[in-house]
Amino acid sequence: MSSTACFMIISRNDIPIYEAEVGTAPKKEEAAHQHQFILHAALDVVQDLAWTTSAMFLKAIDRFNDLVVSVYVTAGHILLIFVTHTRLMLLHDSRNDDGIKSFFQDVHELYIKILLNPLYLPGSRVTSSHFDTKVRALARKYL
Amino acid sequence: MSKTLTSLASILLLSLCVSAFDKGFSSCNCEIEGFFGNRSNVEVKNNTLDCVNYPSVHLRLLLSAVLFPATATMEPDVSIDTSSIIRIAVLPIGTIHLHLFRKYAGMLGRHHKIELSTITSFYTEHQKSPFSQQPWESGSLKFKFIVGGSPPSPWEDFQSNRKIHGVIGICHCPSSPDLDSVVEQFAAACKGYSSSLVQRCFAFSPGDTQLADGNNKGNKLVLFPPADQRTQEIHLQTMMQDIAASLLMDFEKWVLQAESGGTILKTPLDSQASLSSEEVIKAKKRRLGRAQKTIGDYCLLAGSPVDANAHYSTALELARLTGDYFWYAGALEGGVCALLMDKAVQRDPIIEEEVKYRYNSVILHYRKSFIQDNAQRVSPLSFELEATLKLARFLCRRELAKEVVELLTSAADGAKSLIDASDRLILYVEIARLYGTLGYHRKAAFFSRQVAQLYLQQENSLAAISAMQVLALTTKAYRVQSRASIPKNAVYNDIGPSTADGGKMHHHLVVSLFESQWSTLQMVVLKEILLSAVRAGDPLAAWSAAARLLRSYYPLITPSGQNGLASALNNSAERLPSGTHCADPALPFVRLHSFPLHPSQMDIIKRNHGREDWWAGSAPSGPFIYTPFSKGDSVNSSKQELVWVVGEPVQVLVELANPCGFDLLVNSIYLSVHSGNFDAFPISVTLPPNSSKVISLSGIPTKVGPVNIPGCLVHCFGVITEHFFKDVDNLLLGAAQGLVISDPFRCCGSGKLKTTTVPNITVVPSLPLLVSHIVGGDGAVILYEGEIRDLWISVANAGTVPVEQAHISLSGKNQDSVISIGYEALKSALPLKPGAEVTIPVTLKAWQLGLVDLDNIASKSTSVKATRPLKDASSPMLLIHYAGPVENHGESPESVNALPPGRRLVTPLNICVLQGLSFVKARLLSMEIPAHVGEITENALDGVSADNSSDSSRHAADRLVKIDPYRGSWGLRFLELELSNPTNVVFEVGVSVQLENGSIEDNCSEFDYPKTRIDRDYTARVLIPLEHFKLPVLDGSFLVTNSRSNGDGGKSASFSEKNKKAELNASIKNLISKIKVRWLSGRNSSGELHIKDATQAALQTSVMDVLLPDPLTFSFRLVKDGLEEVEKKDTPSKGPVLAHDMTPMEVLVRNNTKDSISMSLSITCRDVAGENCIEGTNSAVLWSGALSGMKVDVPPLEEIKHSFCLYFLVPGEYTLLAAAVIDDPNEILRARARSSSPDEPIFCRGPPYHVRVDGTL
Repeated sequence: MSSTACFMIISRNDIPIYEAEVGTAPKKEEAAHQHQFILHAALDVVQDLAWTTSAMFLKAIDRFNDLVVSVYVTAGHILLIFVTHTRLMLLHDSRNDDGIKSFFQDVHELYIKILLNPLYLPGSRVTSSHFDTKVRALARKYL
Repeated sequence: MSKTLTSLASILLLSLCVSAFDKGFSSCNCEIEGFFGNRSNVEVKNNTLDCVNYPSVHLRLLLSAVLFPATATMEPDVSIDTSSIIRIAVLPIGTIHLHLFRKYAGMLGRHHKIELSTITSFYTEHQKSPFSQQPWESGSLKFKFIVGGSPPSPWEDFQSNRKIHGVIGICHCPSSPDLDSVVEQFAAACKGYSSSLVQRCFAFSPGDTQLADGNNKGNKLVLFPPADQRTQEIHLQTMMQDIAASLLMDFEKWVLQAESGGTILKTPLDSQASLSSEEVIKAKKRRLGRAQKTIGDYCLLAGSPVDANAHYSTALELARLTGDYFWYAGALEGGVCALLMDKAVQRDPIIEEEVKYRYNSVILHYRKSFIQDNAQRVSPLSFELEATLKLARFLCRRELAKEVVELLTSAADGAKSLIDASDRLILYVEIARLYGTLGYHRKAAFFSRQVAQLYLQQENSLAAISAMQVLALTTKAYRVQSRASIPKNAVYNDIGPSTADGGKMHHHLVVSLFESQWSTLQMVVLKEILLSAVRAGDPLAAWSAAARLLRSYYPLITPSGQNGLASALNNSAERLPSGTHCADPALPFVRLHSFPLHPSQMDIIKRNHGREDWWAGSAPSGPFIYTPFSKGDSVNSSKQELVWVVGEPVQVLVELANPCGFDLLVNSIYLSVHSGNFDAFPISVTLPPNSSKVISLSGIPTKVGPVNIPGCLVHCFGVITEHFFKDVDNLLLGAAQGLVISDPFRCCGSGKLKTTTVPNITVVPSLPLLVSHIVGGDGAVILYEGEIRDLWISVANAGTVPVEQAHISLSGKNQDSVISIGYEALKSALPLKPGAEVTIPVTLKAWQLGLVDLDNIASKSTSVKATRPLKDASSPMLLIHYAGPVENHGESPESVNALPPGRRLVTPLNICVLQGLSFVKARLLSMEIPAHVGEITENALDGVSADNSSDSSRHAADRLVKIDPYRGSWGLRFLELELSNPTNVVFEVGVSVQLENGSIEDNCSEFDYPKTRIDRDYTARVLIPLEHFKLPVLDGSFLVTNSRSNGDGGKSASFSEKNKKAELNASIKNLISKIKVRWLSGRNSSGELHIKDATQAALQTSVMDVLLPDPLTFSFRLVKDGLEEVEKKDTPSKGPVLAHDMTPMEVLVRNNTKDSISMSLSITCRDVAGENCIEGTNSAVLWSGALSGMKVDVPPLEEIKHSFCLYFLVPGEYTLLAAAVIDDPNEILRARARSSSPDEPIFCRGPPYHVRVDGTL
């Protein structure tokens, strides 16, 4: 069964710094656009919701048609508390919450490794191909 | 047709979204105002409607058309209140101009609420009112004016508020004079509204005849006589109150009728083919409940919530019993409306809970009423969604966002199941509006885009216009706004709050400047705008979208896609009138490259009243870039300021980049100057694919004052756009931080450039302008080292103002190579009128090439070309500072207090120095030629004295060898210069020595030294005799200090040491300056060889020997026949001295010091073998007189003679030597003799004198 999943990392400034279509469904450009549109719109909801809960994993906070948006809100940067946190967002059509949660946790770990790179400017795009490979591998594993 | 009208109507409807987005208010209660107010808003925002320029027929169609499609079940803008609003269609009657119709309808719109208390005068109770609980004091009737009307809805039995209860025609009398036809048309129009209870036709501005005529036309036609606004409004209000009263009475009538039974209420939901008897029975059962619900609806419309509630309660009971869930939900819904109307409080939490509870059950029951068998045709889903939307609108507050989002999400889920596309459209519009109200702009944008996509599925231009406008609403959320839609001051508002957070925000601030990160979305949105604009036939919008797309996302677009966009731009431009401006720039990227400083010919220097020599300090005066004295100035200059002169063309360099894969033709580009005192000259450029180009844009300042250059105006792709430098700077900043996709300049191969800020530019009144050229060509003057040449520099005033002050100075390297400047020539020509010219002579002497230069030559000669002229920055520059009159009479008086600036003309003296004769080395040679003892002239003997020396030198100069054989040249020193000629011309070298008392005859003698010719690639030696330099007196001045320092040592030693050195150097310099080595080459090259350093080095050690005379000079001479002198001429051939003959001789001892010297003099004679032949065993010479140990005193500067006789026994060569031991030598002598200890005897020895003794034959 083919699944749809679009994963994005949204920086503090509401700008995507990483995006990947990790679903097994055949790739269509149109669909990819639509996925991003949905994730972009879901930011409004995340923005409010993130402050009402201490949980990092916000499952199925938004949906459009069959696609569900789950979000993992990182702890944010203490120094920049006035900005919201970096968010890992996944648009998916599966209901495998545990898998999604594990996926988020592992990707968060990877993201932290990226952040620790002194040459990486927080808030700029993640261009590491290594990261990309790992994320896709995790997606295959959990989703 | 209905589709096109749908889309048009939806434009109106969507314009409501605008207000919802922007103001964040719920437009529940502003039905008609909203429509009208915002409708004009649409036109302001986008002039599409004007562009299309509807013909009047079209207009009629538009206005009389249905507002909502017949197929659609859902209605826009629903709220809980909707159930209590009476709909009145407003139709244009006769011919009426759109804007007039709008105006009149707008006036109507103000009366959307009529208080019950105001209509009592019009109300007459015919029967007992069924609305027993009507609140006459506080209640009101609410109206919704449906402009253009709408077709009857199949659901109007179910929701009575969907009925059109009244029709108002609007007619403009002057444009439709025949009132009869107006009445007819109105009657015809009303036929479509069977449900209408009240019909009125309002005729505005009737003429007098019409007034007289119209009163007879029955009460349907209402004339509004021309009056002022206020009167007319009161009139209209009265009419509306009348209508309200009529409606109320009609509602009463209807309810009474319904209560008595007989109305059959059906919905499309009920099966059409009600054949089965079971169905009929069921319907009969339900009829009562449905009637009760409908009566409730009418009570609500009549403004009586309590009555309504009572009826709804009954209806609920009945509907529940009959399982009529759909009507049950409807009644429940009505009950909520009644509740809210009754309580008239919106924000009571208890009521809110109640409303939520009841509405949830409404939604539930609508869902329950879903019947599978007619699901294909009709479904209660739209009512469920409508109810959801109503609840969402009721709750739509920031605090309840979560609940609203849930409601809206579930509503959005319902969209899939909606059968009708129009329903889906309306649903999405409403969801978008509600999200907008909630402040969820991204969500709103998302659903707006869904709306646009639905529009785009309809392939017609009107739908495309709607799509375009809806997409335009989303651009803000996706941050791809057209610049035209951003108000000028709002641009900074975005940045405002973040800067307030302090410096830490910097990064965030930078990031917020570049919103291109959701590039995929942005590109999709822009593409859709482009598509819809093309379909809608709006070339400007298409151009703007394509421009934004191309400019911001070119790196993500394939070359063919870029080409496509370029052609889209061109196609759009073809449909636009030429000279169209667009707020969104396309290509190329333009950044400020630099402001070229004034060419050195035109430098402007500030001058002030206080300083006469204003030029001083303005020129770089030393070899150092930084001098502490000019520090103050440099601080000022760091704040960039630029001065332009009225009427003098200026240039600004900008860099253009075309990062796309097509040839970019920029039709014209010129500086955009907003200050209005600058004429910019457009130029046209073609940029090949992926290239950048630095071009210079020029213009002429026309007026005095500041100039502001924010960017460039570019005419490209047929449209004029303004490109701001600031935007590109921000872009580059973003690219540097990795926030923007690409740096357009870098990807075009252009290097990184420091951001240039536009300096403060001021324009000053006209100044004089000097231009210079070197007479005989401006090319480099090629000189050999040391060559001397005259130059003439012609200076002309090309300005319009005379030059009144001028000052010449030199700058740069090798300033000393300019020997003289004809400053007087310039001075005397002042004031230099415009057009006048003056020639200044300048004498140059080529400097010597340094070691580095020579190395360069060497390396070059091996690699490229021999002796390439060295052209580098080593040439000196001639600076002419000049200024016009202090007061400019022609200019405005306020500029007088500020002194007009002066200018500087820099004329580089391009001198190419070629390696000339090169100096290999210098040596000091000493030559010792013994003198012959003979009959020497008195002159020759006294040769040491100054007068005679010049005399003798003249004699000597006649001969090739300048040595007097009878004086000998003991200790004569030559300076040997070894010169090589690496050039390819022949040099002739002549040495001249300037003598002490230089006079004309000495100068003559200078070139009497024979010239030495040095051929190319040869080396030659030139000898310079260093005679005649000896001082006449052994003066203490050199040596006293010297010896004293020797004696004292101690602290003064270093000082005197230094002193000594300085004096020594001075004397060497003095000596060297007397020697000139001149050369000639070819016809007109002549110069002087720089030998100073070389000779100085050569002389350093032995200068004393050269300069200082010995303290004592000795010479011998023959004395013949007493005092008679032997003729000089005889002596050379035949020696006068014979063997076996008594030879009387004299030794002359001269004291060259200023003190008398006492000494013991002794004379020896040696033979050829060097044996002493006076003493010893076999002495060959006999003598008479004293020869040794003679005590003699010599007075200062005097000469003594001592006579003696020699008798040579053997002929041959003998040498006479005189020597003296000085008694009690003073310090000078010691110093001269370089004696180390004071006890050492000072021994003076004369040069050897040869005596040739002939035999007696």
